Order: sequence, then C-alpha cells, then structure tokens
Amino acid sequence: MGHCERHAVGEEGQHRIIAWVGSEILPHEADLRLWLRRIVGDNEVEDIVQETYCRLASLADVRHIRNGRAYFFQAAKSIVIDRVRRSRVVSIETVAEIDAANVVHDEPNPERIAGARRELARVQRLIAGLPERCRRIVELRKIDGLPQREVARIMEVPETIVENDVVKGLRLILQAIAQEEIAADLALGNVGNNERRDCRYDQ
Amino acid sequence: MNEETADTINEAAIAWVARLDRDPGECDGLDAWLVGDPRRRGAYLRAQAAWTMLDRASLLGDSRQEPDPADEPASADATALDIGGRGVSRRHLIAGSAAIAASLAAGGAWLFLPLGDEHIATATGEIRRVPLADGSVASVNTDSRLSVAIRPEIRRVALAKGEAWFQVAHDRTRPFVVEAGEIRVRAIGTAFSVRRYESGAAVQVTEGIVEAWKRGEEAHPVRIAAGARAFVSETATIPVAPQLASAEIDRKLAWRVGQIILDGDTLAEAAAEFNRYNAQQLVIPDPVLAREKLVGRFRTNEPDAFARAAAGMLGARADIGTTEIRLTRE
Repeated sequence: MGHCERHAVGEEGQHRIIAWVGSEILPHEADLRLWLRRIVGDNEVEDIVQETYCRLASLADVRHIRNGRAYFFQAAKSIVIDRVRRSRVVSIETVAEIDAANVVHDEPNPERIAGARRELARVQRLIAGLPERCRRIVELRKIDGLPQREVARIMEVPETIVENDVVKGLRLILQAIAQEEIAADLALGNVGNNERRDCRYDQ
Repeated sequence: MNEETADTINEAAIAWVARLDRDPGECDGLDAWLVGDPRRRGAYLRAQAAWTMLDRASLLGDSRQEPDPADEPASADATALDIGGRGVSRRHLIAGSAAIAASLAAGGAWLFLPLGDEHIATATGEIRRVPLADGSVASVNTDSRLSVAIRPEIRRVALAKGEAWFQVAHDRTRPFVVEAGEIRVRAIGTAFSVRRYESGAAVQVTEGIVEAWKRGEEAHPVRIAAGARAFVSETATIPVAPQLASAEIDRKLAWRVGQIILDGDTLAEAAAEFNRYNAQQLVIPDPVLAREKLVGRFRTNEPDAFARAAAGMLGARADIGTTEIRLTRE
C-alpha cells in the first residue's frame, strides 16, 4: 500500500519541514479532523491523518506552499478519494460530501491567522495544561533547553522518568492538538493565565 | 498486515521522538520502523513537529510561576554556573546570591586565598564566577580581563576589558573600587555590574548604592541606586543622570546564568549580543530583517538554536556554518 516515498532532503530540509508543520499545519489539525469525521467513520480518521502527514513528510521542499491549511486539506482529500476508489472504507456517496466540503479549506478561520505572539501563547498554553511533574520536565527541556540528562539531575529523578514524562507530555499535547484546539481558541482570553496550570486534558 | 492500529503507531512515534530527544544517536531501528507502513512516517513527522514546536515556548520569555527557592537544587560549587537556574527574575537572583554567600561561608576555603593581586581573563563565550579573597564574588562575562587587588585599606579591581558583576562583601573600612579606564565606581557593600566601552563605562546596580565618576571629577560623583543604571562617559563633562530600569537590569544581567533574554530587541541587537559570546557569528545582511523585533530567552552559547527559532518566527532562513550563521529572507 505504501505510495509514500522517502526523499533525501537533507537535514536542513528536514528541519524546515518539521518547523513548517509545527507552525502551518498542526494548528489546523483539529479542523481537518472535524471535516474528516463528517465524511468517514471515526475509526478511519486517525489513519487518514497519519497518511496525510506522510504526504507532507515526503515533500522535498515546502517553501513554495503559500497556504499550508489549503495544502493540508487538499492532501487529506486526495487520500480520502484514493480510499474511495479502492473502496477501502468510505461509501461512494461521501464523494459528494467531499466536494461540498471544499469551502472548508479555502477560508482559514481568521482566529487562526495568528501573530507570532499568539502562536507562542498557544504553545505555552499547551505546556501549561500538562500535569505537574510532566509540565516541569517539559519546561526544563523546552523552555530552558536543558538536555534530558540534566533535567533528570535537577528534578532528582532517573532519566527513564524524564523520558517517560516526555512521552506522556507529547502524547497529551498531540491529543490537545487533535481535539481541543477549538475549545482552546475560544478560551484565548486565558492566554498566559496561570490559573490554567492545573487543568488536564480531559478525554 | 495492516492490523497495527493508528493509535499503536502514534504511541510508537511518540516513543521514538522521546528516545531521540534523550539521545539523538539512538536511532538504530528507526528507519526500519518508518518504512514498514506509510502511516508510521506520517505519525512520526506529526510527533516531531509538535515536539519541536514547543521550543518556541522559550521565545515567550518565561511567565512561569517562580519556583519556591526551597525547591532549587543547592549549588555545592560556588564557581559553577547555575545553568539550571530558571526564572531570571529579581527575586530569583537575589535568592541565588544569598545561596552563594551561604556556600562561601560554609566552604571557608575560599576565604583564605592569598592576598596578592589576582588576574582574571575569560575567553569568548566563557562566563566565570570568581570568589574574591575578601568574600566578594565577581561574575566575569565573556571576553573580559580584570585584575583584583585586595589591600587592608582598599579593594581595587581594574577592568581592562569587557564586563563583570560584583557582589561586594560588606566592609565599611575598605571601599571596593572598580577602575574602568578613566571611570571609577565605588561601593561599600552592594551589587553592581560594570561594562567597559571605548568611551566610558555602563554601570548597573542591583543592590545598594554606588558612586561613579570620571577620574579628576571625584568631587562630583553620580550616585546610582539599586534598580538604576548610568553610562559614565570619559569625554562628556556633565554626568548623565542614572535611569531607573530594574526589570531591564535583570534582563541585561541574565548572562550571569548563561542566558540572553530578549524583549522587543531587534534581530540586529540580539545578533550583536550573541556575537559577544561565540566564535560562530550571526550575520543578517538584510536591514529590514535586522530590524524585526523578538521576544525570547536563550543560552548565550547556542546561537544556532537562536537562529533556528528566530528563522521560524520571522519566516526567514538560517544557514548554519561553522564560523557564521546567516539569517536571510527569500
């Protein structure tokens, strides 16, 4: 099934794609999922999301892409259509839905045309929402830029705990990206508000 | 064949990112895993992107609650830089210096250094905390040179080049004087920094009061109190009144914990600051890009991390070479 090739884009290109996905794609993931849920079964959404990211991963360059959101939706759409053609999952009537949903990717939500500070606030909010020890570890690693070994020393925990909390933190952050962005954006008034520190990402 | 669930793949991707985050060399098996299913590669990119995105949090400065000083790991070695230090807030710094004073008192050994002249030089990028024979502490910034003479009647520091911050042990009988070219700064028990420039010296006071003057103008010193700073010129005859700028001073003295804190500084200013500490020089040929403003907190010795973050923020590109990092916009 793999039609997703690996390109030798070099480390620089790799860094650029990762950074681009972080700033231009991840903020739209929750919207994409909402749209996908309307046209495919819930159990297929995650597969399609992963395959969509795989398309992005195989790009040789991203600098020519003007609208990341539109590109993201377009890639997902073509994956859904491929699946329909191979009648893997979705029923044929969903094709009409797919086209009807075109509007979605043409109009980025103005809320999301975020200034740099806004984007940073989003990142900070994601970190602030982590459980206590996990949050401190992520902060030491990401805000202070300390290596995991050093974080372990400061927190006086074994390195495996640090690595496990990185896993846990990243998992929660990815869940927040997938599910809670919209709710979180509504709560933008809370940006930088320390009171949110204790909240967990409820399922 | 296709039985692996998307969730299982996400978990594995996260584990790979965490593992490589611990040790980038631990990539055995990653390629084999990635080629097994295209969804893996997608999940891996997604996890990498989310994890990398969090680096931008450092650009926000630090709005975290200050940790309780009791939580802080005690620094056993007063000469070691507290790189693990977090909030570079005023309170934190003061707590830090108290801890150093305490460890000095406990350590004792520092207090019996020979009473001769001491010469201190730092290389580019080096930041050193040096306990002085009288119980004072000098934090010496990058590329600086100074000599210290502790005498029964006076404590004299000659700053030949660069910048240093002094935590002066209280001793009313022996004034503590820093000489920077023609400029003199005198303190009794206080904490302040002096940075030497071609035409004078910038003095920033974090505790107590100091007096600064140009040689020959001893009768008309400028008094600079905690939270204020002044530039004392070698050429101008009228001293400039000190300015109150305590938050700014804390920020400007972040080098003592190995950090550079930006708050609306231009990219050009930020680059000049990083270039003080590193052989690898930041270059921004485009004047428009150079005027872009940034907010953030970085390690003095990581110009590449700064360049990547700034490039991400400003839609620029960072070409990272061994001697030079160029930031450009297409």
